[in-house]
Amino acid sequence: MIRRGVLGFLGALWLVPVYLLLVNAFRPSTDFEVSKIWVPDTEIGFFDNVKLAWDAAGLGPSLASTLLYSVASPAIAVVLGAMAGYAIVVLRLRAGFWWFMLLFGGTIFPTQMLLIPLFLGYSSADLYDRRAGLLLVYTAVCVPLAAFVMRNFFTGIAYSIYEAARVDGASVWRIFWRVYLPLAVPALGAVLILEFAFVWNDLLFGLTLSQTDTVRPVMTALSSLSSAYSGSTVPVVLAAGLVMSLPTVLVFLGAQRIFARGLALGQF
Amino acid sequence: MSVATATTSRSPAAPAAGGRGRHGGRKDRGAQWGGIGFVSPAAIIVALLLYAPFLYTVVLSFTEYDGLNSPQWIGVDNFTRFFDDPALITSVRNTLMWVVGTTVVPVGLGLLVALLSFGVRGGTWLRLPFMLPYALSGAGLGVIWGFILQSGGAANDVLGALGLPGAHTSFLLEEPWNTLSMIVAWTWQQTGVNALLFLVGLQSIPKEPLEAARMDGATGWRLFRHVTWPLLAPLTTVVVGLSLVASLKTFDIVWVMTQGGPGRNSETLAVTMYRDAFVAGEYGYGSAVAMVLTLTTGAITLAYLRRQVRAREELS
Repeated sequence: MIRRGVLGFLGALWLVPVYLLLVNAFRPSTDFEVSKIWVPDTEIGFFDNVKLAWDAAGLGPSLASTLLYSVASPAIAVVLGAMAGYAIVVLRLRAGFWWFMLLFGGTIFPTQMLLIPLFLGYSSADLYDRRAGLLLVYTAVCVPLAAFVMRNFFTGIAYSIYEAARVDGASVWRIFWRVYLPLAVPALGAVLILEFAFVWNDLLFGLTLSQTDTVRPVMTALSSLSSAYSGSTVPVVLAAGLVMSLPTVLVFLGAQRIFARGLALGQF
Repeated sequence: MSVATATTSRSPAAPAAGGRGRHGGRKDRGAQWGGIGFVSPAAIIVALLLYAPFLYTVVLSFTEYDGLNSPQWIGVDNFTRFFDDPALITSVRNTLMWVVGTTVVPVGLGLLVALLSFGVRGGTWLRLPFMLPYALSGAGLGVIWGFILQSGGAANDVLGALGLPGAHTSFLLEEPWNTLSMIVAWTWQQTGVNALLFLVGLQSIPKEPLEAARMDGATGWRLFRHVTWPLLAPLTTVVVGLSLVASLKTFDIVWVMTQGGPGRNSETLAVTMYRDAFVAGEYGYGSAVAMVLTLTTGAITLAYLRRQVRAREELS
């Protein structure tokens, strides 16, 4: 079939950069020459390359910090977002729509509008180059989407569940933790995955709000490793790029459907 | 976050849950106070870390501020300074190249991939090569393509082997090839996700009009042009809108591949803003660039959406 042929050809074209990445990330660091990038090397230098990058850019602590940011921030954000959604939909908060607009409005600001005041404020509040500082900003950025999804999700849950629990004498807080939050797990999971990828891949906040190897997120570390001044060889930089991209690539391939749905989150 | 923007343009106006009118005869006073308590943590963190910085950037854009002495009010001087700033003019031009390039090429290719793979056996596998790059970060993308595009690198090899011009072009060092080749890298990454979105659209197209058109003998291009394409229009609006907003804020890939150079000639507005504020330490001027970026994004998005809405009203 012509369609499959064209698609296959385009796909092969698309895989060329992947091939080049793999071949050259696995090449021993000292064997790299611009003239022989197309041919795989007989020796495998990948692990040495990763080790070199690890030492040059302090990747170990950076990976640990990034894991903290990309798991904890979305987790806090979805709970805060779920609480807000619960307040607006289930508790029928007065002017609930405006509260919702306030929260969701947070997504319209381009990052560039936030960086300078965040940098200045963090510097004077001793949050600059601190894990707590990055955790805080990532959480804030994750809240609007979480609130949006959770509000939509709770809208679809019968109000009688809440009324029945109220009549039984359960407190508002207890109903949230014991009934509504568990019900929301599928939606929460999707948001967590999307936001994990977002935080893991972030460069700009890390670049602006952190400095030391232990605090800065991996993409910032990768960016400085790949700059012309780092003195690292091409295989080392490519190996580092490959390792640091793996988490999101794996999560993405494992959860393609969630990503697809995430792009149409209104449907939750 | 691009994902969130997708939802804004997609979802219908949110129904006012708990809006006025529903509150008549309220008995549950505890719930009302509880509600404030439940919404506050999210509201406080968003107000403090998103709204407050946003407003402060607006104020700073009318000042001169070096981070040491207190900000000096200088009115619109930062904005008039733009016209004499060659770096900013280059930056605006590059940003427009990004906008045009990324709303046409990856969207078009995404549509092509979606159409080719829709309903084909093994389509999921055939689509996989396009999906792989999507999960990469901007920084990861910059690392890979910086390597491919280096002088004498893979891109030069391929062009040389095919006998095409460009075998000796230093793509990342020459203007405008640096911006254009970064758009190619971006296309490599974005095509897959656009294809995925279009695929969702193709799946949701009702079968009847397609069947009817086929009965009338429409096939291939005519079927696409007169039936599929109009039915896909709402989704195309979303995909193009997303690309538009993302392209205006392009930063990561440029920062990793060229740092906006050489000589600032591949900067986008987002890179210019970063450089002016955090490299040159001109926080007032940097804020003004951020303002221009935001206003441009807002204006272009609004104009685009209005045109789309009007076009759809004319159709119906």
